[in-house]
Amino acid sequence: MTKLQARNIVKHFDHNGTPILALDGVNLDVEEGDFVCLVGPSGCGKSTFLNIIAGLEKPDSGEILLNGKLIDTPGPDRTMVFQEGALFPWLKVVDNVEFGLKIAGIPKEERRQISKRYLDMMQLEKFSESYTYQLSTGMKQRVAIARALAMDPEILLMDEPFAALDSQTRDLLFVELQLIWERTKKTIIFVTHNIAESVVLGSKVAIFKHRPSRIKKEIVIDYRRPRLAEDENLLKYQHAIIQELKNEVIEQKKSGD
Amino acid sequence: MGGKIIARRVVFYVGIIAAWQIVFSLHLAPQTVIPSPSDVGQALAKGVYDGSLLYGIGTSLLRLSAGLVIAIAAGIALGIFIARFETMNQIIGPFLLGLQSIPSVAWVPLAFLWFGRTDGGIIFVTVIGALFAVAINTHSAIRAVPPTLVAAGRNMGANGIQLIKDVIIPASFPQMIAGFKQGWSYAWRGVISAEVIFSVLGLGSLLNSGTKNNQIAEVISVLIIIMIIGVLVDGLVFKRLERTVLSRWGPVK
Repeated sequence: MTKLQARNIVKHFDHNGTPILALDGVNLDVEEGDFVCLVGPSGCGKSTFLNIIAGLEKPDSGEILLNGKLIDTPGPDRTMVFQEGALFPWLKVVDNVEFGLKIAGIPKEERRQISKRYLDMMQLEKFSESYTYQLSTGMKQRVAIARALAMDPEILLMDEPFAALDSQTRDLLFVELQLIWERTKKTIIFVTHNIAESVVLGSKVAIFKHRPSRIKKEIVIDYRRPRLAEDENLLKYQHAIIQELKNEVIEQKKSGD
Repeated sequence: MGGKIIARRVVFYVGIIAAWQIVFSLHLAPQTVIPSPSDVGQALAKGVYDGSLLYGIGTSLLRLSAGLVIAIAAGIALGIFIARFETMNQIIGPFLLGLQSIPSVAWVPLAFLWFGRTDGGIIFVTVIGALFAVAINTHSAIRAVPPTLVAAGRNMGANGIQLIKDVIIPASFPQMIAGFKQGWSYAWRGVISAEVIFSVLGLGSLLNSGTKNNQIAEVISVLIIIMIIGVLVDGLVFKRLERTVLSRWGPVK
């Protein structure tokens, strides 16, 4: 079943008063249970596209359908893991995880059960009473994932969540995220500029072209899981993506970005 | 705070009192102008003993609290309002800045005309002295909130009042404290100024009556009390607030 459809999404950026066409009719179908990675040259608007799906930004035209229904506002059915975690420093870890549940008016006891489940899943049980400044960057991202999953969203949106991590922590989270994905059967849309990351994680990789951007090609990664970052069998997929992106980088250079 | 610092402070105060005593004993200034430390000490003791000083402290603090509570509540509301509607800020921002620059004491004549020599008049001066400082600081504190925190709040379903209450206010709180601090010091000045001029009870009015009766020791004893209250409020209220924030947010990077 198609979970999410993006139809002809157009979006302009404002660059010192001049509008620049960023997204020029992006179309994407995401099936239930897909793990879709969006890759593309920096500045191509893939994060903007994710924000539009989240309802945090409005497209100039085009529409997003979730389960066939039009959406244009933010909602806890599409929770996001932000690049820098975006945890609330005034709340303990457990209260961060429960934030959305509290907003939704879920009673405290039920909230505790839910947060415990996801804190356990992310191996954070020992840190539930900590404040976020006491956590490493990797821990913070685990909390952010727990917080997003706690809302039991239809789709999990991830905006370069591992970009700030050291490579060991990242490799560990690659495996964990795949296990969580298999366990929760969530549909995931994951933005990254890291091609190796996209082939380790994605069941499908959608490649954005340079601005004005749309999706140039989708590559299915049909390979056993959990995949490891160092698995050489993934290289052929990486090469295919790099080949597609090569021209884009040249385009980008020409346009002087 | 280490014992070493406290010891140094004690030495400092003893030094001041000793210097003061020397000035007095050597007649370096007319004794009618500068009373001795023990005269001031006696005035303090008398004020405490006959209740006038305690009653004055109570009255002034009550007015201060009433004014400050109103000023902080209204100032936060105004600050949120201009932070949310940028056009509003463009229109009334400079006006608020102008109002903030008016010293509290300059409001006293207007308060007298509007409210007469009443508690209401004094509280008016207190509120208006602190309000704009709180509003302006709240505004800049909100503007400094990282947009991703607001995005995260909206993403999890918060909007409208909930977004303000559960995300924007707590996220800007550490910086808002600076506004409260400024607001409190303006409010305290406002209370004392209005009391001196209105001369209806309170520490300010004790300053006034002391001057009229040429009781310099009494005047200085009240000044010392005003100063001590300032130090106590900072230590008991603001240092504590800052410590709470620090324990959650961690050391500021």
